[in-house]
Amino acid sequence: MAFINYSSREIQLKIVYYGAALCGKTTNLVTLHKQITHAQKGELVSLATDADRTLFFDFLSLNTRTLPGFTTRFQLYTVPGQAIYNTTRQLVLKGVDGIVFVVDSHWEKMADNVESFANLQENLIENHLSLVQIPYVLQYNKRDIPNAAPVNYLEYTFNNRANRALAFEGVAATGLGVLETLNAAARLLLAKYSKTPNANVTGLAQANPTVAVPPPVDDPRVKAEAV
Amino acid sequence: MLTAEDQMAIELHLADFLKKSEAQWSALVDKGGNLFAQNGDTGTLDLSILSALAAGSFAATHELAKRLGESEFSALYHEGHGQHILMSALHHECLLVTIFGEKTNIGLVRFYAQQVTGSLNDLLQVAREKEAQASPLLLEGDFLNDTAAIT
Repeated sequence: MAFINYSSREIQLKIVYYGAALCGKTTNLVTLHKQITHAQKGELVSLATDADRTLFFDFLSLNTRTLPGFTTRFQLYTVPGQAIYNTTRQLVLKGVDGIVFVVDSHWEKMADNVESFANLQENLIENHLSLVQIPYVLQYNKRDIPNAAPVNYLEYTFNNRANRALAFEGVAATGLGVLETLNAAARLLLAKYSKTPNANVTGLAQANPTVAVPPPVDDPRVKAEAV
Repeated sequence: MLTAEDQMAIELHLADFLKKSEAQWSALVDKGGNLFAQNGDTGTLDLSILSALAAGSFAATHELAKRLGESEFSALYHEGHGQHILMSALHHECLLVTIFGEKTNIGLVRFYAQQVTGSLNDLLQVAREKEAQASPLLLEGDFLNDTAAIT
Protein backbone atom coordinates (compact mmCIF):
# COMPACT_ATOMS: atom_id res chain seq x y z
CA MET A 1 0.00 0.00 0.00
CA ALA A 2 1.30 3.44 -0.88
CA PHE A 3 2.89 5.25 2.01
CA ILE A 4 2.50 9.04 2.18
CA ASN A 5 4.83 10.99 4.41
CA TYR A 6 3.51 14.54 4.77
CA SER A 7 6.52 15.56 6.79
CA SER A 8 9.11 14.78 4.13
CA ARG A 9 6.52 15.26 1.31
CA GLU A 10 7.29 11.83 -0.04
CA ILE A 11 5.12 9.09 -1.51
CA GLN A 12 6.51 5.55 -1.60
CA LEU A 13 5.06 3.20 -4.20
CA LYS A 14 5.92 -0.46 -4.68
CA ILE A 15 5.94 -1.99 -8.17
CA VAL A 16 6.51 -5.74 -8.49
CA TYR A 17 7.77 -7.38 -11.68
CA TYR A 18 6.07 -10.77 -11.88
CA GLY A 19 6.29 -13.59 -14.39
CA ALA A 20 7.49 -17.11 -15.13
CA ALA A 21 11.06 -18.29 -14.52
CA LEU A 22 13.61 -16.76 -16.90
CA CYS A 23 11.05 -14.47 -18.56
CA GLY A 24 13.26 -11.39 -18.04
CA LYS A 25 12.14 -9.77 -14.77
CA THR A 26 15.65 -9.30 -13.41
CA THR A 27 16.87 -8.21 -16.85
CA ASN A 28 14.23 -5.45 -16.80
CA LEU A 29 15.66 -4.09 -13.55
CA VAL A 30 19.27 -4.45 -14.69
CA THR A 31 18.44 -2.56 -17.88
CA LEU A 32 16.48 0.11 -16.01
CA HIS A 33 19.42 0.61 -13.70
CA LYS A 34 21.63 1.24 -16.74
CA GLN A 35 19.10 3.30 -18.73
CA ILE A 36 17.85 5.66 -16.05
CA THR A 37 20.07 8.70 -15.88
CA HIS A 38 17.88 11.55 -14.63
CA ALA A 39 15.92 10.03 -11.76
CA GLN A 40 17.88 9.55 -8.56
CA LYS A 41 18.45 5.81 -8.34
CA GLY A 42 19.79 3.51 -5.66
CA GLU A 43 21.98 0.49 -6.00
CA LEU A 44 20.45 -2.56 -7.67
CA VAL A 45 20.29 -5.30 -5.07
CA SER A 46 19.89 -8.92 -6.16
CA LEU A 47 19.30 -11.75 -3.74
CA ALA A 48 20.26 -14.49 -6.14
CA THR A 49 21.78 -17.96 -6.17
CA ASP A 50 25.32 -18.62 -7.39
CA ALA A 51 23.80 -19.38 -10.78
CA ASP A 52 22.24 -15.88 -10.90
CA ARG A 53 18.71 -17.16 -10.40
CA THR A 54 16.61 -14.91 -8.18
CA LEU A 55 16.30 -16.48 -4.75
CA PHE A 56 14.30 -13.83 -2.89
CA PHE A 57 13.99 -10.61 -4.87
CA ASP A 58 15.81 -7.92 -6.81
CA PHE A 59 15.33 -4.38 -5.62
CA LEU A 60 15.81 -0.95 -7.18
CA SER A 61 14.71 2.35 -5.68
CA LEU A 62 14.01 5.43 -7.83
CA ASN A 63 13.30 8.96 -6.61
CA THR A 64 11.40 11.17 -9.03
CA ARG A 65 9.59 14.49 -9.08
CA THR A 66 6.57 13.31 -11.02
CA LEU A 67 3.96 14.73 -8.63
CA PRO A 68 3.69 18.43 -7.74
CA GLY A 69 5.02 19.13 -4.27
CA PHE A 70 5.96 15.53 -3.55
CA THR A 71 8.94 13.33 -4.18
CA THR A 72 7.84 9.95 -5.47
CA ARG A 73 9.93 6.99 -4.50
CA PHE A 74 9.27 3.99 -6.70
CA GLN A 75 10.48 0.77 -5.16
CA LEU A 76 10.87 -1.86 -7.86
CA TYR A 77 10.96 -5.52 -6.88
CA THR A 78 11.09 -8.75 -8.83
CA VAL A 79 9.86 -12.11 -7.59
CA PRO A 80 11.67 -15.42 -8.06
CA GLY A 81 10.03 -17.16 -11.01
CA GLN A 82 10.80 -20.76 -10.12
CA ALA A 83 7.77 -22.74 -8.97
CA ILE A 84 9.31 -23.79 -5.64
CA TYR A 85 9.57 -20.20 -4.42
CA ASN A 86 5.85 -19.49 -4.18
CA THR A 87 5.95 -18.47 -0.51
CA THR A 88 8.64 -15.94 -1.38
CA ARG A 89 6.46 -14.52 -4.15
CA GLN A 90 3.64 -14.06 -1.66
CA LEU A 91 6.01 -12.21 0.68
CA VAL A 92 7.28 -9.88 -2.03
CA LEU A 93 3.70 -8.99 -3.00
CA LYS A 94 3.02 -7.66 0.49
CA GLY A 95 2.11 -3.98 0.21
CA VAL A 96 2.25 -3.97 -3.61
CA ASP A 97 0.84 -0.91 -5.41
CA GLY A 98 1.35 -1.91 -9.05
CA ILE A 99 2.44 -4.89 -11.11
CA VAL A 100 4.37 -5.39 -14.32
CA PHE A 101 3.62 -8.87 -15.62
CA VAL A 102 6.42 -9.99 -17.92
CA VAL A 103 5.42 -12.53 -20.57
CA ASP A 104 8.08 -14.65 -22.26
CA SER A 105 7.30 -14.64 -26.00
CA HIS A 106 8.72 -18.14 -26.60
CA TRP A 107 5.98 -20.51 -27.76
CA GLU A 108 7.44 -23.15 -25.49
CA LYS A 109 6.98 -20.88 -22.46
CA MET A 110 3.27 -20.19 -22.99
CA ALA A 111 2.08 -22.75 -20.45
CA ASP A 112 4.57 -21.35 -17.89
CA ASN A 113 3.36 -17.81 -18.59
CA VAL A 114 -0.27 -18.82 -18.12
CA GLU A 115 0.55 -20.68 -14.93
CA SER A 116 2.45 -17.68 -13.61
CA PHE A 117 -0.44 -15.31 -14.38
CA ALA A 118 -2.83 -17.62 -12.53
CA ASN A 119 -0.32 -17.86 -9.69
CA LEU A 120 -0.16 -14.05 -9.51
CA GLN A 121 -3.92 -13.88 -9.06
CA GLU A 122 -3.86 -16.58 -6.37
CA ASN A 123 -1.03 -14.85 -4.50
CA LEU A 124 -2.82 -11.51 -4.65
CA ILE A 125 -5.83 -13.18 -3.04
CA GLU A 126 -3.49 -14.48 -0.30
CA ASN A 127 -2.60 -10.82 0.29
CA HIS A 128 -6.31 -9.81 0.21
CA LEU A 129 -5.83 -8.07 -3.15
CA SER A 130 -6.86 -8.62 -6.75
CA LEU A 131 -6.07 -7.37 -10.25
CA VAL A 132 -9.26 -5.29 -10.10
CA GLN A 133 -7.70 -3.15 -7.37
CA ILE A 134 -4.05 -3.25 -8.34
CA PRO A 135 -3.03 -1.46 -11.53
CA TYR A 136 -0.96 -3.67 -13.81
CA VAL A 137 0.68 -3.56 -17.20
CA LEU A 138 1.86 -6.35 -19.47
CA GLN A 139 5.22 -6.59 -21.16
CA TYR A 140 5.59 -9.07 -24.02
CA ASN A 141 9.30 -9.67 -23.69
CA LYS A 142 11.88 -11.30 -25.97
CA ARG A 143 10.21 -10.03 -29.14
CA ASP A 144 13.54 -10.48 -30.96
CA ILE A 145 13.55 -14.26 -30.86
CA PRO A 146 12.82 -16.03 -34.16
CA ASN A 147 9.94 -18.14 -32.84
CA ALA A 148 8.14 -15.46 -30.86
CA ALA A 149 4.41 -15.97 -30.45
CA PRO A 150 2.41 -13.32 -32.34
CA VAL A 151 1.34 -10.32 -30.31
CA ASN A 152 -2.35 -10.86 -31.11
CA TYR A 153 -2.07 -14.36 -29.66
CA LEU A 154 -0.46 -12.99 -26.48
CA GLU A 155 -3.16 -10.34 -26.30
CA TYR A 156 -5.85 -13.00 -26.61
CA THR A 157 -4.21 -15.13 -23.94
CA PHE A 158 -3.27 -12.50 -21.34
CA ASN A 159 -5.34 -9.45 -22.14
CA ASN A 160 -8.71 -10.76 -23.16
CA ARG A 161 -10.82 -8.97 -20.56
CA ALA A 162 -13.50 -6.31 -20.51
CA ASN A 163 -10.90 -3.82 -19.29
CA ARG A 164 -7.70 -4.40 -21.12
CA ALA A 165 -4.33 -3.66 -19.58
CA LEU A 166 -1.67 -1.57 -21.22
CA ALA A 167 0.65 -3.92 -23.09
CA PHE A 168 4.14 -3.30 -24.43
CA GLU A 169 6.43 -5.26 -26.69
CA GLY A 170 9.91 -5.45 -25.26
CA VAL A 171 13.38 -6.83 -25.50
CA ALA A 172 14.59 -6.33 -21.95
CA ALA A 173 18.15 -7.35 -22.77
CA THR A 174 18.55 -4.48 -25.25
CA GLY A 175 16.29 -2.02 -23.45
CA LEU A 176 13.43 -1.99 -25.97
CA GLY A 177 10.16 -1.18 -24.22
CA VAL A 178 11.66 -1.33 -20.73
CA LEU A 179 11.31 2.34 -19.76
CA GLU A 180 7.95 2.57 -21.54
CA THR A 181 6.63 -0.32 -19.46
CA LEU A 182 7.82 1.20 -16.20
CA ASN A 183 6.46 4.64 -17.07
CA ALA A 184 3.06 3.19 -17.94
CA ALA A 185 2.90 1.40 -14.60
CA ALA A 186 4.08 4.54 -12.81
CA ARG A 187 1.45 6.73 -14.48
CA LEU A 188 -1.34 4.33 -13.56
CA LEU A 189 -0.24 4.57 -9.93
CA LEU A 190 0.22 8.34 -9.96
CA ALA A 191 -3.15 8.92 -11.65
CA LYS A 192 -4.80 7.76 -8.45
CA TYR A 193 -3.66 11.07 -6.93
CA SER A 194 -5.23 13.22 -9.66
CA LYS A 195 -8.12 15.50 -8.72
CA THR A 196 -9.52 14.84 -12.17
CA PRO A 197 -11.27 11.47 -12.13
CA ASN A 198 -10.09 9.19 -14.89
CA ALA A 199 -12.18 6.20 -15.86
CA ASN A 200 -9.10 4.21 -16.76
CA VAL A 201 -7.39 4.37 -13.42
CA THR A 202 -9.00 1.61 -11.44
CA GLY A 203 -6.29 -0.73 -12.53
CA LEU A 204 -6.66 -1.22 -16.21
CA ALA A 205 -6.59 0.96 -19.27
CA GLN A 206 -7.17 0.51 -22.96
CA ALA A 207 -4.05 1.66 -24.71
CA ASN A 208 -2.96 -0.91 -27.21
CA PRO A 209 -4.99 -0.66 -30.40
CA THR A 210 -4.40 -4.33 -31.13
CA VAL A 211 -7.72 -6.15 -31.19
CA ALA A 212 -7.69 -9.47 -29.42
CA VAL A 213 -8.27 -12.28 -31.89
CA PRO A 214 -8.70 -16.02 -31.38
CA PRO A 215 -5.45 -17.98 -31.20
CA PRO A 216 -4.23 -20.10 -34.08
CA VAL A 217 -5.84 -23.23 -32.67
CA ASP A 218 -4.48 -25.44 -35.41
CA ASP A 219 -0.94 -24.71 -34.29
CA PRO A 220 0.22 -27.81 -32.37
CA ARG A 221 2.56 -25.70 -30.27
CA VAL A 222 -0.34 -23.92 -28.64
CA LYS A 223 -1.04 -25.70 -25.39
CA ALA A 224 -1.87 -22.83 -23.08
CA GLU A 225 -5.42 -21.90 -22.35
CA ALA A 226 -6.56 -18.32 -22.11
CA VAL A 227 -6.63 -17.04 -18.55
CA MET B 1 0.11 7.93 6.03
CA LEU B 2 2.22 9.93 8.46
CA THR B 3 1.67 13.57 9.32
CA ALA B 4 4.58 15.80 10.31
CA GLU B 5 3.31 15.61 13.89
CA ASP B 6 3.26 11.78 13.87
CA GLN B 7 6.70 11.61 12.38
CA MET B 8 8.16 14.00 14.91
CA ALA B 9 6.65 12.03 17.79
CA ILE B 10 8.03 8.75 16.43
CA GLU B 11 11.47 10.25 15.86
CA LEU B 12 11.55 11.61 19.41
CA HIS B 13 10.86 8.12 20.74
CA LEU B 14 13.54 6.66 18.49
CA ALA B 15 16.05 9.29 19.64
CA ASP B 16 15.29 8.53 23.29
CA PHE B 17 15.64 4.80 22.61
CA LEU B 18 19.02 5.32 20.93
CA LYS B 19 20.24 7.47 23.81
CA LYS B 20 19.29 4.88 26.43
CA SER B 21 20.39 1.80 24.52
CA GLU B 22 23.51 3.40 23.00
CA ALA B 23 22.56 1.89 19.66
CA GLN B 24 23.65 3.55 16.44
CA TRP B 25 20.53 3.78 14.30
CA SER B 26 16.90 2.86 14.59
CA ALA B 27 13.97 2.98 12.20
CA LEU B 28 10.31 2.25 11.89
CA VAL B 29 9.75 0.21 8.74
CA ASP B 30 6.62 -1.47 7.45
CA LYS B 31 6.55 -5.10 6.38
CA GLY B 32 6.26 -4.01 2.74
CA GLY B 33 9.73 -2.43 3.03
CA ASN B 34 8.71 1.25 3.38
CA LEU B 35 10.79 3.42 5.68
CA PHE B 36 8.45 5.45 7.92
CA ALA B 37 10.83 7.22 10.28
CA GLN B 38 14.43 6.91 11.41
CA ASN B 39 16.98 8.34 13.79
CA GLY B 40 20.71 7.95 14.22
CA ASP B 41 23.60 7.53 11.86
CA THR B 42 24.25 4.88 9.23
CA GLY B 43 26.88 6.77 7.27
CA THR B 44 26.41 6.32 3.55
CA LEU B 45 24.15 3.28 3.75
CA ASP B 46 21.15 3.38 1.39
CA LEU B 47 18.20 3.37 3.77
CA SER B 48 15.71 2.18 1.12
CA ILE B 49 17.78 -0.92 0.55
CA LEU B 50 18.23 -1.43 4.27
CA SER B 51 14.47 -1.22 4.82
CA ALA B 52 13.66 -3.56 1.93
CA LEU B 53 16.16 -6.16 3.13
CA ALA B 54 15.04 -5.90 6.75
CA ALA B 55 11.40 -6.35 5.76
CA GLY B 56 12.32 -9.31 3.53
CA SER B 57 14.38 -10.91 6.24
CA PHE B 58 11.63 -10.53 8.80
CA ALA B 59 9.02 -11.86 6.36
CA ALA B 60 11.10 -14.99 5.78
CA THR B 61 11.41 -15.46 9.54
CA HIS B 62 7.67 -15.03 9.94
CA GLU B 63 7.14 -17.93 7.54
CA LEU B 64 9.59 -20.05 9.53
CA ALA B 65 7.67 -19.23 12.71
CA LYS B 66 4.38 -20.26 11.11
CA ARG B 67 5.85 -23.60 10.14
CA LEU B 68 6.96 -24.15 13.73
CA GLY B 69 3.44 -23.43 14.93
CA GLU B 70 4.30 -19.97 16.24
CA SER B 71 2.18 -17.00 15.19
CA GLU B 72 5.31 -14.87 14.88
CA PHE B 73 8.84 -14.53 16.22
CA SER B 74 8.66 -11.22 18.05
CA ALA B 75 12.30 -10.36 17.44
CA LEU B 76 15.10 -11.28 15.09
CA TYR B 77 18.79 -10.72 15.81
CA HIS B 78 21.68 -10.82 13.36
CA GLU B 79 25.12 -10.81 14.95
CA GLY B 80 28.10 -9.52 13.02
CA HIS B 81 31.74 -8.98 13.95
CA GLY B 82 31.38 -5.30 14.72
CA GLN B 83 27.80 -4.44 13.89
CA HIS B 84 24.55 -6.16 14.73
CA ILE B 85 20.89 -5.78 13.83
CA LEU B 86 17.85 -6.33 16.00
CA MET B 87 14.39 -6.36 14.42
CA SER B 88 11.35 -6.23 16.66
CA ALA B 89 7.77 -6.77 15.56
CA LEU B 90 5.33 -3.91 16.10
CA HIS B 91 1.59 -3.73 15.54
CA HIS B 92 0.05 -2.51 12.26
CA GLU B 93 2.43 -4.49 10.05
CA CYS B 94 5.48 -2.55 11.20
CA LEU B 95 8.98 -3.32 12.48
CA LEU B 96 11.51 -1.57 14.64
CA VAL B 97 14.94 -2.04 13.08
CA THR B 98 17.98 -1.22 15.21
CA ILE B 99 21.64 -1.26 14.26
CA PHE B 100 24.21 -1.23 17.03
CA GLY B 101 27.92 -1.74 17.49
CA GLU B 102 30.42 -2.58 20.22
CA LYS B 103 29.46 0.38 22.44
CA THR B 104 26.49 -1.58 23.75
CA ASN B 105 25.17 -5.13 23.88
CA ILE B 106 22.16 -7.12 22.75
CA GLY B 107 20.70 -7.35 26.27
CA LEU B 108 20.56 -3.61 26.73
CA VAL B 109 19.30 -2.91 23.22
CA ARG B 110 16.63 -5.58 23.52
CA PHE B 111 15.50 -4.28 26.92
CA TYR B 112 14.97 -0.72 25.67
CA ALA B 113 13.56 -1.96 22.36
CA GLN B 114 10.83 -3.78 24.26
CA GLN B 115 10.07 -0.57 26.14
CA VAL B 116 9.85 1.64 23.08
CA THR B 117 7.71 -0.81 21.08
CA GLY B 118 4.78 -0.11 23.44
CA SER B 119 4.98 3.65 22.82
CA LEU B 120 5.45 3.16 19.08
CA ASN B 121 2.44 0.86 18.91
CA ASP B 122 0.34 3.58 20.55
CA LEU B 123 1.58 6.18 18.08
CA LEU B 124 0.90 3.85 15.15
CA GLN B 125 -2.63 3.29 16.44
CA VAL B 126 -3.24 7.05 16.54
CA ALA B 127 -1.78 7.46 13.02
CA ARG B 128 -3.97 4.63 11.74
CA GLU B 129 -7.10 6.23 13.20
CA LYS B 130 -6.19 9.59 11.65
CA GLU B 131 -5.59 7.91 8.30
CA ALA B 132 -9.01 6.28 8.37
CA GLN B 133 -10.65 9.70 8.80
CA ALA B 134 -8.41 11.70 6.45
CA SER B 135 -9.43 12.71 2.94
CA PRO B 136 -7.42 11.02 0.19
CA LEU B 137 -4.49 12.96 -1.21
CA LEU B 138 -5.58 14.54 -4.50
CA LEU B 139 -3.38 16.83 -6.57
CA GLU B 140 -3.82 19.09 -9.61
CA GLY B 141 -2.87 17.38 -12.85
CA ASP B 142 -3.66 14.47 -15.12
CA PHE B 143 -0.85 12.12 -14.28
CA LEU B 144 -2.10 9.36 -16.55
CA ASN B 145 -1.46 11.36 -19.71
CA ASP B 146 1.31 13.49 -18.32
CA THR B 147 4.45 13.76 -20.37
CA ALA B 148 6.58 13.71 -17.20
CA ALA B 149 8.37 10.41 -17.19
CA ILE B 150 11.07 8.48 -15.44
CA THR B 151 14.16 8.83 -17.60
